[in-house]
This record gives sequence, structure tokens and C-alpha cells, in this order.
Amino acid sequence: MQVHSSGEKSRNRSVVAKFNLILVLWKLEDSRPPKMPKHYRPPGKKKEGNAAKYSTRSKALKHLQISLPHFRKLCILKGVFPREPKKKFEGNHKTYYHVKDITFLQHEPLLEKFRDIKAYDKKVNKARAKKNNPLAERLLSRKPDYTLDRLIRERYPGFIDALRDLDDCLTMVHLFAALPAVESEHIPVKRIHNCRRLSHEWQAYISRTHRLRKTFISVKGIYYQAEVEGQKITWLTPHAMQQVLTDDVDFKVMLTFLEFYETLLAFVNFRLYHSIHVEYPPILDPRLEALAADQYSLFKYITANSRASRVESQAVSSSDPEQAEVGKKGIQTEDSELRLAQLQHQLPANEPGALMQLVEDAAGDDKDDEETRECKTLFKNLRIFLSREVPRESLLFLIPAFGGVVSWEGDGAPFKETDEGITHQIVDRPTQGHIFLSREYVQPQWVYDCVNARIVLPTYGYLVGRVPPPHLSPFVDDEAEGYVPEYAETIKRLKAAAKKEFLPMPGSESQDLDDPQSLLVEGIISRTEATEAAEKKRKIDVLEKQYHDELKMELDRVPYSAALSKKNLNVEDKEESLPDQDQKAVDDAMFMVTETRKKRGLYKAMQKGKEKKMAHVNLLKERKKKAESAKSP
Amino acid sequence: MKVPKGTPPIDDVKDENQKKNKKKSTKKTLVEEEKEEKREPETLEPETNVPNNQEEDIDGEDDEINPAVEESDSSEDEVAPRNTIGNVPLKWYEDEDHIGYEITGKKIKKQARKDKLDSFLATVDDSKNWRKIHDEYNDEDVEITKKEIRQIRKLLEGKTPHSEIDPYPPYLDWFKWDDAKHPLSNAPDPKSRYIPSIWEAKKVRQLVRGIRKGHIQFDKPKEESRYYLLWGDDSSSREKGHGLSYIPPPKPKLPGHEESYNPSVEYIPTQEEINSYQLMYEEDRPKFIPRRFDALRKVPAYENAVKESFDRCLDLYLCPRTRKKRINIDPESLKPKLPSRKDLKPYPLTCYLEYKGHMGAVISISIQVSGQWLASGSKDGTVRIWEVETGRCLRIWELGEAVQYVAWNPVPELPILAVAVGQDVLLLNTGLGNAEEQQKVKELLRSEAPSELDNSDHSTSIVSWLQHDKHEGIKLKHLKMVTSVEWHRKGDYFSIVMPAVLIHQLSKKITQKIPFKLHGLPVSSVFHPSRPILFVSTKKSVRVYDLLKEKLIRKLETGVREVSSIAIHPAGSDNVIVGSREGKLCWFDMDLSSQPYRILKCHPKDITNVAFHRSYPLFASCSDDGTAYVFHGMVYSDLNQNPLIVPLEILRGHARTDGRGVMDCTFHPRQPWLFTAGSDSVIKLYCH
Repeated sequence: MQVHSSGEKSRNRSVVAKFNLILVLWKLEDSRPPKMPKHYRPPGKKKEGNAAKYSTRSKALKHLQISLPHFRKLCILKGVFPREPKKKFEGNHKTYYHVKDITFLQHEPLLEKFRDIKAYDKKVNKARAKKNNPLAERLLSRKPDYTLDRLIRERYPGFIDALRDLDDCLTMVHLFAALPAVESEHIPVKRIHNCRRLSHEWQAYISRTHRLRKTFISVKGIYYQAEVEGQKITWLTPHAMQQVLTDDVDFKVMLTFLEFYETLLAFVNFRLYHSIHVEYPPILDPRLEALAADQYSLFKYITANSRASRVESQAVSSSDPEQAEVGKKGIQTEDSELRLAQLQHQLPANEPGALMQLVEDAAGDDKDDEETRECKTLFKNLRIFLSREVPRESLLFLIPAFGGVVSWEGDGAPFKETDEGITHQIVDRPTQGHIFLSREYVQPQWVYDCVNARIVLPTYGYLVGRVPPPHLSPFVDDEAEGYVPEYAETIKRLKAAAKKEFLPMPGSESQDLDDPQSLLVEGIISRTEATEAAEKKRKIDVLEKQYHDELKMELDRVPYSAALSKKNLNVEDKEESLPDQDQKAVDDAMFMVTETRKKRGLYKAMQKGKEKKMAHVNLLKERKKKAESAKSP
Repeated sequence: MKVPKGTPPIDDVKDENQKKNKKKSTKKTLVEEEKEEKREPETLEPETNVPNNQEEDIDGEDDEINPAVEESDSSEDEVAPRNTIGNVPLKWYEDEDHIGYEITGKKIKKQARKDKLDSFLATVDDSKNWRKIHDEYNDEDVEITKKEIRQIRKLLEGKTPHSEIDPYPPYLDWFKWDDAKHPLSNAPDPKSRYIPSIWEAKKVRQLVRGIRKGHIQFDKPKEESRYYLLWGDDSSSREKGHGLSYIPPPKPKLPGHEESYNPSVEYIPTQEEINSYQLMYEEDRPKFIPRRFDALRKVPAYENAVKESFDRCLDLYLCPRTRKKRINIDPESLKPKLPSRKDLKPYPLTCYLEYKGHMGAVISISIQVSGQWLASGSKDGTVRIWEVETGRCLRIWELGEAVQYVAWNPVPELPILAVAVGQDVLLLNTGLGNAEEQQKVKELLRSEAPSELDNSDHSTSIVSWLQHDKHEGIKLKHLKMVTSVEWHRKGDYFSIVMPAVLIHQLSKKITQKIPFKLHGLPVSSVFHPSRPILFVSTKKSVRVYDLLKEKLIRKLETGVREVSSIAIHPAGSDNVIVGSREGKLCWFDMDLSSQPYRILKCHPKDITNVAFHRSYPLFASCSDDGTAYVFHGMVYSDLNQNPLIVPLEILRGHARTDGRGVMDCTFHPRQPWLFTAGSDSVIKLYCH
């Protein structure tokens, strides 16, 4: 702006003056206190509201002075989760933790332990860097370790609380029991073995105490539901196959979870074993273990030990307490092999009859609820043999849980395939080579369906080479869902029949056990007859009631015409109920008119949900119809 | 001179050309060759090699030396290849009967080809046949000796080819130390050889101390079971948490029928359905597509098992948890307990009569107090009077302009009809009633002359009272469009609404403005059925004026966008309904508050009119959507009890024309009947 022609000068001066004036004004304006920030908090005043109650994750990290992986691990172990503040004061995309949760983490001794471990790792690294391998090794052998029992107690003050949260734990442990050990992902073999052991211990307990209630083979694996101390616990075991490992999984997180779950399950198992007077951890028959028949060896152990301890406790109760303590100590210090020898002595080897006897013995005096009793006797008189190709682990768990005797093909099995007493053989192959006439060859689904239906189903549909009837989920409430699959109805009918006409069955079954098939068929016939008879009876009842009513009217001297008109009224009522749909539509419209917007919205949302459900049911019905029409011609 | 054992017998007499011929040219051999070349000047002694080779041959079983065995290192040198053509493609000689030339220049003839059978027979007969190789270059069969095979094997194993050669011989020292006279060094032993080290002693002491104090432990501590009865004293100790409520994670969803390995047919989607999933948004797409396996053995491992488990882990520690109430109730229970509609009978239900005759939309209807006559004004410029019970049209006035409003005088002795047409209000003598009444009416409607002079003083500018010549009656000429006419219950006063509210007195032929300030344009005005109160509604609110005291009593806040109509409960219990252009109906209980007691959102379109029944607890609203709603509106004399409002019936039947539906509705004064006037130029009577 320095080059100006002289003519413009005067005008320019005035412009400059104006500019100066503006500048002065602006300065005046500037001299006022600076504009307050949006959330200004004057000094000395505490934070309030959400900002005081919650902190973002990065702030929490800064506050705790730990790294993100450590924080993550702590959160997982302590069960701390983010919470949703009413107002997200730092933005929507951030994670908020409650300040109390953060202080809770701050006072965790584990935090200090992690720091120690970190320092110790530095020591090891230093030794390594200086090529001082012996020192490094010595240090490594004495690495500080931490335990999680205190955390478990803290998170689950009562045993019930632990059982309530056991679903995820069991699913995870069972999954890892089926995973391969991958060094690149730092999944050591030891952990996998531990998972396997824990899962077997759990299954053995459930099976031995007949706590299993429902089971379901899904594409994802096999679901089980057990009821322990009134808590329904559901878990999923993967199919016994080579599992697929994907890249998009952070195994560090999973292993941290697993660490907690392993400890939790071990303590839960301890408590459960304690409740049936069996020592934990169990010492297993090494021969059976080597044959991968862990479960069977566990069963043997549990049954034998529970019996022994019971006898012992009886003995102890008679003698003085001091002696009892000595005796207990003696038991505890006893060498494992000695105990095994004792066990073998108590248990005639490979004698399933004796085993079952023991189970009965052990279970006899327990105070079981009715359902457990029902479960215990489901497969009571059945001897089941498993072929090579069926999922052995699952069935070995399942059949004893419902009171059956089971054996399998291979070493260490309680009885061989040629055993005469076998009633059912589970096979899963297109054709069966050698057939024993005395037993039935059924597909594995039969067992699962029987368990869910709680009756021994006729084996007709499940024979070898057939496509079995649809396998239905026991977790679905068909009535609430609005659609009952055909096979569910069949099972319901069978169940109803089994409860009434089927009662004398067991007696007759014991007489001619050789041919249960024919008996079952007979049962079916008798059931259908029974249902027909019931229908007839109902009709007769109705007629009878009408007759009685008329009689009564006569006694009351009601004129016939009045009675007629009354009847007519009834008829009218019925007629009026007919255009119910129309009425309902009007009612709906009227409701919409009078109610508040909130209620209307709620009602609409509910109707929407209902419609969705109905649409799904209709889709199912349509598909069913199509399938049937495709089948019929 | 003998070659030292360590060095392999090297024989690189072969010239460069021959080397190229070698078919085996792995990297390893190449390297070896290079090494060999380097050693050449030292060890190249062809004469010595020959006896060496001869020795080897003596060892071997076959004395015969095959000149063509080029692969073996040892025999390469013995005989030059018979064929001298060099490294040329053998293809060139394909068509010739020779394959090359000997060193002397003679042609080498091709051997006769054996047929396959012969060669097969030869293989069967000859046990050594597997060792034979055909050399294409020289066109002859070469038999490999056992020794050579051993060499090949060794080569394959990566060892030295010759079995006799030890690659790592013991080291022989070149210098003899034993009987030397003088030591190499005569220095005395250093001190450290015989004085114990202080530092070592210190180190040892440190270690000893460490061991004694237990800092250093050599054997690992014995591992004890880490598990014990954690929940032994379950009942006694309920440790308190850290103050925040623990929200347990929601359990994973239990599997349904469709997740089964063998679901029923209806759960499996068809191929078209699966294809249609591709068209859906990713988040809408079903996560799991049911599949069916006809046997358990065919079920594969689930590919997402680990992934799903991992997702669950992420949910557990990353998802914020909140408690949300989910009500699981029957939607019907939301509906309030209202009395059954059957108990609230009678009310208009069905269309009983239709009054047809108008050529345009019927804008306004009015019923005479006796309930015998119905007046209607239409867009076609006619006013008609109908006999209610028969539907007969009694009389027609052609007014030439669209009729805005018709209203009967509420006094039964005065059968006067007020009609709003354009800027005029006509007071028409209907000619009904007996002679005495007629006389009275005529008198009322005649004395117009003085009024015309009279109103010159104060209200000339607004209204002029004129005698209507064509249809005997009075014509009130206004300055602006008149939209509604409402009679006072005594039949003397009537109020009209043009952009201002005026009150006319029929007996004195006087017009006066209301002495209040109106906030906004008035929409309609109604007299209170028993008290001297005037309700004037503007677009937003309803103002209630006391006419005697000349002051504002109440202002009712409707909260609607635009008020269209208003009706007062006939019992005089200060209940008002207001209809709005957005389809909302507000019920005001003025004793309760100036806010609506109830807002009913019944019509999707403008409400055109609302009406109360005179004696039955009924009210109705009609709207441009072509429907009329009938409600039960019970007002109790007990002040503690709120009015009961029950929707009763939706009356449909009018066709919508030009975007208008039902234009007006009114109840019969004695019967529970409803008249509705539609834009389809039909008036309908709904009876119970």
C-alpha cells in the first residue's frame, strides 16, 4: 500500500483514520475478558454430573499409568466393563468407564503384580542381552506368578453367582479343549490339556449326578443344558473335528478370558466334587487316560471315591473327631497310586454291571428332585454300544447321565460288541454289515431326541440307512413362537400316551426284553386307540351335560319357550362373536384415537413385532405346504 | 608317489566342450567343479590318475570300462565320447541313418530300433536290465556298474561319492613336541596360578550367603494344588461390592429349530430366498442360513466357532452395559378399560336416509328445534329445506352465490332461517308454522325501513339492514365475507363472523361490535347455551367473554395449529370441544383448567365441524377425510368426576370430492341421529 498517486492521498488518509478508529474499537473490544469456553469450570469448583462420574478410556489409562494391553487384561480379569453415561461429554465415539470402576482397578493388587512382572521381564531381557544365559534361566524359573482365586471370590461372592455366569466359561473351555495348540498364537499344549481335563471333570460331575436336562445337536456344535443348584447352565461343545482357526481373532484377548475361566471352572469343579464327597483333583486311571477314555475313567473314579468317602464318613462319625482328622490327613497324604490300587480293588475291572450298581448305590440316598429322578431312569434298562463312527465323547457323557449303560468299540471298553445283553447299538453308517438280531441299530440322533422328549422313543424312524426325522431344538417354546413343527406334535402325542397307557410297560418290558420294537409298536397302536376313545368320551360328556341341564330346567319349571329364547340368546352370543375381527379393527382405531402418543407408539411397536412374528410363521407354513405339495405327486 | 588320502582323485582332463555336454548341472556340482579347477595346477597328474583308476576298477565287479559313463566323475577321463559331433541338437540327425562321426571320421550308424515287445521281453529276461540306460548321444545302451550306483546313491545323500574317502581324517601335527630340548617360553608361572582369587572368594561367599538365606534356591518348590473350597462359608459372607451395581452380561441366545443339523424342511430357505439375501443390506442379512445334513457323520466343523467365541469375548469386555426395561405384556392390556359400546347405545350407527338434490357441495346444514325441518346451504347457490322424516325437499331459494352458512332460529315459534351468502346475511321467512306465527315473523322481518336510517349514526360503515325484495326477508350487507352465523338461544340476537365479530339484534335491527379486543382473526363465535357468555375462537385460542360485565373470563389454550370449529356442551357445564385443521379434537373442561382435558387425534385431515347433542351424551366431529366420528361424552354433575369420553363409531359413506369430505354435521335435537353434509352434494342421516 505504499505506492499511491498523489490525487488519492487525501481520500486515503480518511480511510486510514477510519481504519485506525476501527482498530481502536476492536482493541477496546479485545480488552474485555476472553470468551468463555463452552464447558467452563471456574477454578476451585469441582466437576459435576457426568463429567465427574465417568472418564474416558484414555484418561483412565493415564490415571492408572498402565499400558492399554495391561488395562485390557485387568478389565477382563476384574470384570470391569464400560458404562453408558447419560450424556457423552467427550464425544460419541469414546468409551466411558465409571470413575468408581477405575478406582476399583487402581486398588487392585494385581496392578502392582503386573508391574513387578514387567520389571522382572526386563531383568531377564538384560541377562539375555549380556549373554548371561544361566542367570536368565534361573530368573525365568522363578518368575513371579499371580493367582486369581481372590478375584473369583470378589466377583462371585456366592457359589450361585458363579454358577449363574458359568455359560460363557464352559463354552470357552470346551472350545479350547477342541482347538489345536498353536505355537505361533501362543496357545501352549498345557493349556489345551488343562481345558480338556476341566471339561471332562465338569461333564463327569453332571453325568454322575444326572443334572443334564436338555441337549441339541446344532450346526455349530452340541448344546447341553444342565441344572445345578437351580441354575440352568447352557454350554456349547464344538463338533469333534479339526477346528478352523481364522486370522481375524486376537488370541491374546481370548487367552486372558480363558485364564480366568480355567480358574473359575476349577474352583467350581472343586466345590461340586466336594459336595458329593469326592476328592479334587481326581487321579485317573492312566491306562484309560492313555486310551482317551478320560470320561469313563473319571466316572469310575467319582463313583468309587464317593462311595469310599461315604463309608469313611460314616466310620468317622462314630469315632472321635481327632481321629477323623488324622484319618483325613492320612487319606490326603496317601500316594496316588495306592489310592488307585484301592480303587481298582473296590471296582471289579471292566464290569459295567458292578459300576452301575455302584452308581445306584451312590445315588440312592441323595435327595433328588423329581426331575433328576426322571432323568436318572430314562435309559435305565438299556445297554448301549457305540460304534466307531459316532461322536463318542458326547454319547459317553449323555447316556450315563440318563441312567444308561454304555460301551464302545476299542480297548478299555466295559463290554464288547458281541455282548448278548446289548439292547441298542448306535451306528452312523449307510449300511450295517453284521447284524445281531437281539439289538436295535439306531442313529445317534435317537439318543438326543429321547433325552429331549424324556421318553424312550420308538426306534423306527432312526434305523440304519434312513434319513432320521427332523431334530428339534428343546430350547424353543413352540406355543410362544406360534408355530409347532410336525415332529414336535408327534413327540407330544407319544409323551402323552406314555404317561397314561404306557405305564404297565416297564413290567412287560422286563419279561420280553428281546423284542422291544414290537412292544413299542403295540404301544403306539394302543395310544391311537386311547386318543380316539378320549374324544368319544368327551362328546358323550357334553351330551350328558346338556341332558342334565334340561332336566334341571324342568325341575325349576322354566317354561319351554323361555328356555328356547335363552338358547337363542346363546346362539346370538355366538353370532355376535363371529364378526369379532371387524369389531377388533374398529376397537383398534378407537384406541388409536383416544390414547396418548406414547401409548400409541408402544402399541404400534408391539403390533409390529407381532406382525413380524406372524410373517415368519406364515413363511414357515408356506414352505411346509410347498414341500408337501412337491412330495405328494 | 602316492596321492594323500585326503584329496579325492581328481580328473579334469576333460575339455570345456565336454563339460558343457554334461547333463547333470546342479548348482552343487558346479561349485565342486570350480574348486577342482583351482586345485588343478597342484594335483594335475594324468599319469598318476590312470593307475589309481585301474585300482578302483580292480575293486569293482565289472572290469569293462564304459566310455559313455559320463556322469561319474571318475570315469569321465578314460575314453572320449565316441561321437564327435559336439553339442548340437540331436534333432538334426533325426532323419539321417547315422547319428554322428567317430574320431576317425566314420559315420556312426543308428542301431535298429527294437520294438516294444522285444524290449519288454529283454527286460523280463535280463535281471540287470534296471541298470541299463540308453545313451542317445552315442546311441547305445550303457550298463551302470554296481559301484557307480553306489556312487550315485552317495551323491544323492549329499556325501562324498567315493566310499573309501574319509572327509575328516585325524589331524597329523607337522611338528614333533616330545623330545624337544628347549621349551618355547621360559617365563615363570604367573601369580594367579597359585594364589587364591579374592574376587572368586567374594563371589563364593555371596553365593553361600544367598543359599543360606534362601535367596538362591536350586530345586523348584513343590507344586501344590492351587484349588480349595472357595465358597465354603457361602451363607455367612456376602462381601459388599464396590458400590456400583453389577450388571450381569446377557446370556447368549439359545438356538432355535433352524440351527439344528437336521431341521425340518420348512426351516431351510429355498435357493431363491438365499439369492435374495444378497440384495439385502449387510446388516439386514440373516447371519445364519440353515442347512441340512442327512446324517450326523456328515456334519463338518463349524467354521465360525472361534470367531463367534471371540466376538462374545469382545462383547463382554468392550460393550457398555445398561439395564433396559423391556415390558412383556399383552398389547391389549394397554387399552384402557372403557365401558362396552353396547351399553352406550343408542348412538348413530347406520345411514338411514339420504337427501339428494343439491348440485354442488353442501357446505352447511341446520336443523330446526322441532326436529322436523332441515335446512341446507350449498355451493351451487341454493338453500333447501327438507322434511327430515321423508326426505322431501320443501322449498328452494336460489341465491346465486355459494351459501356459507345456514342457521335456524332456535325459537320454535320463529321459523326464521339465517343464511350467510358472500358478504350478506339473509334472514329468510321459511313460511312454516301456523298463521299466527307467520304474522309474527312477517312483522319481525318487515320493519326494516327505520333501521336503515338508524344505523347511519354509528355502524353504517359495517352493516346495512335492507329489505330483501326477491325472497321476503332482511338482507344485512357487510363489508366483508361472512363465514358463520350463530343465534343466541332466545332467538333475538345472532352473532356473525366476518374478519370481525358482530352481534345483531333482530327485534331492534341493531348491530354492535363486541367491545373486546380480539387477538388474531376470529374463526367462529358461539353463545353459551344458558348464560350470557360469548365464546370467540381465534386460530390459536378460544376466548370466553362475559357479555354483561363486558370482560374476558377465560382464555383456553388449545395448543393446536389452527382452530376450525367449536361447540359448547348444552348442559351449560362449561365443557367445550374444539376441532382443529390438523385433525385434533380438544375437549376442554373449563372447571379443570384452561388446557385441554383430552386431545383426540382422530382424523388425518382437517376437522370441519364439531357438534354436541342436545340431550344425549353424544358428540361428533366430521372431517375432510370423508368420515365422521361419534363419541360418547358423559359429563357428570359430580365435580370430582372427570368427563368420560368413549369413541363409539366411525361413520363412513361420503365420497371425497375436490379434496373435501364431510363439510358439516349436526345432531337431531331429540333423537340420537346425526346429519352429515358432504362435498358430494348429499346429506345423510345416520340413525341408531
